[in-house]
Amino acid sequence: MKRALPVLVLSVAGLIPLWRYAPSQDTGSSSAPAEAAAPASTPSASSSGGATTTVVSGSLVDTEKGPVRVEVTFDGDRIASVRMLRQPDHPQTTAAVPRLIEETLRAQSADIDTVSGATITSDGYRESLQAAIDARG
Amino acid sequence: MRGLRRVEHVMGFPVSVRIDDEDVPEAAVDGLFAWLREVDARFSPFRPDSEVSRLDRGEVSEPGPELREVLDLCEEYRIATQGAFDVRLPGRGLDPCAVVKGWSVQRGAELLSAAGARRFCLNAGGDVIASGGPWRVGVRHPEHADRLCTVLDVTDRAVATSARYERGDHILDGRTGRPATGLLSVTVVAPTLTEADTVATAAFALGREGVGWAAARERCEVFAVDADRRVLRSAGFPAAGAEGVAAA
Repeated sequence: MKRALPVLVLSVAGLIPLWRYAPSQDTGSSSAPAEAAAPASTPSASSSGGATTTVVSGSLVDTEKGPVRVEVTFDGDRIASVRMLRQPDHPQTTAAVPRLIEETLRAQSADIDTVSGATITSDGYRESLQAAIDARG
Repeated sequence: MRGLRRVEHVMGFPVSVRIDDEDVPEAAVDGLFAWLREVDARFSPFRPDSEVSRLDRGEVSEPGPELREVLDLCEEYRIATQGAFDVRLPGRGLDPCAVVKGWSVQRGAELLSAAGARRFCLNAGGDVIASGGPWRVGVRHPEHADRLCTVLDVTDRAVATSARYERGDHILDGRTGRPATGLLSVTVVAPTLTEADTVATAAFALGREGVGWAAARERCEVFAVDADRRVLRSAGFPAAGAEGVAAA
């Protein structure tokens, strides 16, 4: 179990941006990969083969915003899922829930510079607005 | 016509570039497409001799630094989505395409910037890097290829859309191994295309819960159409004003 603990602590660090408590908690793409890569290469002490599923509860970790405890399900050496058993009790927790605005789907046309949308195949591209924009030159 | 424009088909999708600056050499655009062709050769899982294919077959023990960067990003998002986004699904080969696309096009944009381009728009298979601005970026309507469902005003940001309409159920929910069907389309605006593209794909894999997940990420704004044709957008989504937008 001792070997699994660093994995759990790293997982907590990786999950913190999910709640968006404070900008300082944000892990940029430069620092997070190192943390994220560690679990995959650290074998879980309690798994013996690729098919073994092990559920491990982490220790309570104090963060700037309150204590955190996670439960990690290992599938062999891999982390199959991470579940939050205890989330920080912090006033910003409610504010961190993003406000989503619901609207009605509308079809519209407009003067635009470019189009975002899945245009992977050339068939799709040909019928897309982007094709028209490129043809317009 | 001032500036430069070019469209080429590379990495399996059309890439169009529009540079409005007058003094950017044509060689900068050549360099962009050369880089994207190099990425295709090295990182495509569909090419048996690519770095990705050789790593997947175990012929290479350690990925090179650039592939390492891509795989680290893949792992970061796999953990952040609790496995919904996964480039190593059981019974399938390693497929980091979802990260490679945004990452490589972002690098390509940096090549243009280094060559002096300031105001340019790069569209790679529907994923957009808007440098300078403001640029008006339409989001394709998920049900009508010739219509938009929203228009954004963006400056120095990237816009990526993941959707079912083009290639069908091609994004799998790694938690179930089955196609993700909760959303018709999800668009993410972020500072870089590396982030916008990966967050959009991961949110699509998560389904409806992916909308809130993406919106909760720092610097990310989201616009999604779910399977019930409901539109959900984050409060800060940079939708353009009503002027110039005609209901059709």
